[in-house]
Order: sequence, then C-alpha cells, then structure tokens
Amino acid sequence: MRANEDQLRAWMIGGLDGDAAAHASLLRALVPLLRSFYRRRMSAGPDDIEDLVQETLIAVHTRRGTYDRDRVFAAWLFAIARYKMIDQFRRNRRTVPIEGLEDMLVAEGFEESSIARMDIGDLLATLPAKQAGAIRATRIDGASVAEAANAAGIGESDVKVSVHRGLKALAARIAGQRL
Amino acid sequence: MNTDDLIASLSDGVQPVGRHAVGLRLALGVIGGAVVSILLISVTLGFRPDLWLAMQGPAFWMKWSYTVSLSAGAIYATARLARPDPGSLRRLWLIALPVLVLATLGLGELITTPRSEWLAMWLGHTWTKCPWLVLALAMPIFVGLLWSFRQMAPTRLRAAGAAAGLAAGAFAATVYCLHCPEVSAIFVLTWYSLGILLAASLGALVGPRLLRW
Repeated sequence: MRANEDQLRAWMIGGLDGDAAAHASLLRALVPLLRSFYRRRMSAGPDDIEDLVQETLIAVHTRRGTYDRDRVFAAWLFAIARYKMIDQFRRNRRTVPIEGLEDMLVAEGFEESSIARMDIGDLLATLPAKQAGAIRATRIDGASVAEAANAAGIGESDVKVSVHRGLKALAARIAGQRL
Repeated sequence: MNTDDLIASLSDGVQPVGRHAVGLRLALGVIGGAVVSILLISVTLGFRPDLWLAMQGPAFWMKWSYTVSLSAGAIYATARLARPDPGSLRRLWLIALPVLVLATLGLGELITTPRSEWLAMWLGHTWTKCPWLVLALAMPIFVGLLWSFRQMAPTRLRAAGAAAGLAAGAFAATVYCLHCPEVSAIFVLTWYSLGILLAASLGALVGPRLLRW
C-alpha cells in the first residue's frame, strides 16, 4: 500500500530533525509516487522520467528547509515536482504554453486525487481485512463482483455483503468524525 | 546513477534543519548585504554629520518608519514566495499600507506649506541622486538575498524576484537614511519610492533567470 500523508509527513519531520533513517524512508517512499506523477503527464522515456525523479529527490533533500511543518506535505512535494517538470520542458525548449500549463496540471487534480487515495487507504485500514479487500477491489480498482470473489476465493454474495457492511461502517465512522 | 544509490548518498549524514530555517537564512542574506551597503555609505557618501541630532527629530523617524515597515512587508512576501507552495497571496496588498500613510502625511504637509514652497519641498536638494543611490545600495542586499535563495524553492520566479528586489530596495532606503538629509514626506514618497520601485522592477526582470533551481 502507498504511504499516506501522515506517514510521509512524520518521516519528513524526522529528517528535518536530523534522523537519517527517517529521511531515507521518506525518499524511498517518494520514488513510486514521483514516477507515477511524471508518467501520467509526460510522454518521456523511462530514463528521462528517472532523471526527473532523481532531480526531484535532490531538490526535496537540499531544499527541505522550505517545508513548513504545519502544512500539508503532499502539497509541498507536488509543487516541487510540478516545478521540476516545467523546468524540464523549458530546458528542452519545447513549445509549451507555460502560463496555461500550470493551471492545466492543477485542474487535472492529480494531487487531490492522490491525497484522497491516501485518506481512503487510512479509512480502509480501520476495517476488517475481508471488507477492506472487497471494497478496494470493487469500488477502487473497478473489478466486477465475480472477479473480486474469484480473486479472494470467496462467494459472490460474501463479497456483496462485505462491501455493504464495510461501506456502512465507514459511513458511520465519517459521520462520527464530523460530530 | 542508480536511484537507490542516490537515496543512500543523500541520507548519509543528514543535517538537522530548524523550524525557522527560511526566515533565518533570508535575514542573514539581508543583514549581510546591508553591512556592505553601510560600508559603502561610510566610504563614499559619508554619514550625515548631524545624524545624532536628526535622530531626535520627527522627520528622521517618519522616513525610517516608512522604509522599515516597507522592508518588513517585502521580506515577509519574499519568505512566502521562497516556498514552493506560497499559498494565497491576497493579503500582500498590505504592503501598500505604509505608502498610503506616508501619502496622507505628505498631504498634510502640502496643506500647511505655502504653495510657493511646494516645488522646493518636493525636489529637496538631492532628488536627482536619491533614486539612483537607493538602487545602488540595494544591489549588495539583493546579492545577499540571491545567496539566501540558494536553499529556497520558489516556483513563481518573477514574483519572487520582484519581492526580493522590493525587500532589497526598501532595506537599502533604510540604510540610505543614515546619509540623506532630506526632511519632507513628499520627497520620500516620490524619490525613495522611485528607487525602491526600480529595485523591485530589476528583481522581477532578472528573477526568472537568477532564481532558477
């Protein structure tokens, strides 16, 4: 499962306090996040993507003092990632309308959706494994009930019931949080 | 280089970074530059001989309140823009507040002064030099800020450059008060502000080139 905001932020703050192990965990966890960030929005080859990922990791490291501990880590990270990508376009002198580009990227909502995914991950972790697995398969990964049942080795009605109970439990939990 | 090796070398010997790293580094850049500017004044222009006496009168403090409050606002803006996610910048119009206050003071001055003396009051003795001297004294401070920015992560380079230029100009004007003998509010409002504005424009001009990272 992908690392979530709280975990990343905890590692980041650990690194800021001089904890090398936390810093290394953070950088390792960022690699898949950054790879998918760049892959989604560039037609570059794997080597170019990896170069950008590395450059972003270096920026995260050398400019980590600009992270404000009271703010969202993902927003800081993706602002750097976006800047590095635009800088890369500029260096290659590709004719990209930079002014519009930034809005376009923000509008695509990758950050929001990945922050949302992290939240969902948190919520699902509070459910029993069977319910969480059934919800993830049918509602997030987009599998059919039959496929989910096959993959988990349980009956279709079991999947349906698990999804139903799980969603109900989540709804109750969220309603409870709001109160 | 392999990404795993890169991570290993980056997390080898991690230095702790304080909560106020951005503010401290900007302050260091501004103060370092200002020391050079003060040295420049003492060597070339000289401090005004009646500085001690002037510091007991209101005109000196009128000028300093203006330039110091403008510097504070500009440095705050610079600190915001030094981060990759500066957030909403809507409150930055507050930087215009000192200008409005000074304009009000200037208006009062004009009302209490006979019309025949307006021009002399506006131009003072040094209006031809003042904006250029402020701009020149802003250069060391701007260079200091460029040094600060080497650990910053601005994503709006032109805005960050303009804010750094504004901060350098306003702080240079603060330092310039140690030399400048002028006393009227409309003089400061026009010629100081012109020098500060020149510095900010220069910052906006070179920001995208010099602040890249």
